[in-house]
Amino acid sequence: MGSVVAQFLTPMRDRQRRGGSRLPRLFLALLAAACVPTQARAQERFANIGNLVDYNFGQIINLSADQSIARDVCVYSAKTTPGYNVRATGSGAGGAFTLGGGGGTLGYEVQWAAQAGRATGTILRPNVALTGLLTSATQQNCINGPPASASLIVMLRATSLQAALSGTYSGTLTLIVGVE
Amino acid sequence: MVLGEYMLLNRLARRVPVALLLATAAAGTANAATQGSLGTTSTGSVVINASVAGRVQISGLRDVTFADVDAGVAQSDAQDVCVWSNTNGRKYNIKASGSGSGGAFTLASGALDPVNYTVEWNALAGKATGTGLVNGTGLAGQASVATAPTCASGPTKSASLIVKMDTTNLQNMQAGATYSGTLTLVVAPE
Repeated sequence: MGSVVAQFLTPMRDRQRRGGSRLPRLFLALLAAACVPTQARAQERFANIGNLVDYNFGQIINLSADQSIARDVCVYSAKTTPGYNVRATGSGAGGAFTLGGGGGTLGYEVQWAAQAGRATGTILRPNVALTGLLTSATQQNCINGPPASASLIVMLRATSLQAALSGTYSGTLTLIVGVE
Repeated sequence: MVLGEYMLLNRLARRVPVALLLATAAAGTANAATQGSLGTTSTGSVVINASVAGRVQISGLRDVTFADVDAGVAQSDAQDVCVWSNTNGRKYNIKASGSGSGGAFTLASGALDPVNYTVEWNALAGKATGTGLVNGTGLAGQASVATAPTCASGPTKSASLIVKMDTTNLQNMQAGATYSGTLTLVVAPE
């Protein structure tokens, strides 16, 4: 924000030295005063999700136990609160959380925790936003402050593993975050 | 920078990307996740990969008892069992072995001579006859209709196990003596 004001004022000073009117200076000062809160309000609507990594379960030989991978992610909300919501869609039909391959589909479960380092969380439903979340991230990529702010857990239930045919499965899970 | 140093750095600069590519390939699948960007909403994605191993399970077995039988009438006991396979086509093979010498299908009673029985397998439930099994030899190409490992859901049974004793062996048994043995069944995915 400071660099934006400086860019406005520098040409004005040049113009004053050349004997220009004081009206543009007043206009720009008013414009700057009006714009700064607007920019701040606009930025408050901004969110970011990052530090996402693929989930590779490898070959699963024990079909009687749930298989789970939990990973930390970075979710940033520019809002003062700083609240956000998260919505997930899978690559299955209608956004279902299913992997394809192996001659069929393999269903999986998605959980979300608004803290990093968690092995369990709230179960997400496809295309249904989980609201009322708060993030501890203070920088959009978690470069400064906490290195992660949430946990994304993908779980393959034993019932799903036993219902699936043997083979290799793959799919994409898309996550959309918005400020609240 | 002298010419020698420049040439060395130039060679390194050309080799580093190749080394990185080789390292990535050696490490396995590259990360395909996409990161979000700052906006009113932010969207990222991850790829999920899993491989399910081929597995089978046999269950629902019960003991076979021939009690006070007429030695002049051949005996047969058929039972429905559950065999589940998760392979494509739900294929499996089955191998049986008895507790006799070398896995023979025999029943023993102390010092008395053992008697033989035969084993048949049918990949459908509710059958009284099937394909004769040979001790230690797999019967391949079987397919199951079971969709749950213990047939807890879907079809409740998926195959028939038939144990038979012919009159010759029945007549070789000593009256009043108890004969027993163990039949072991091994299924494997195909």
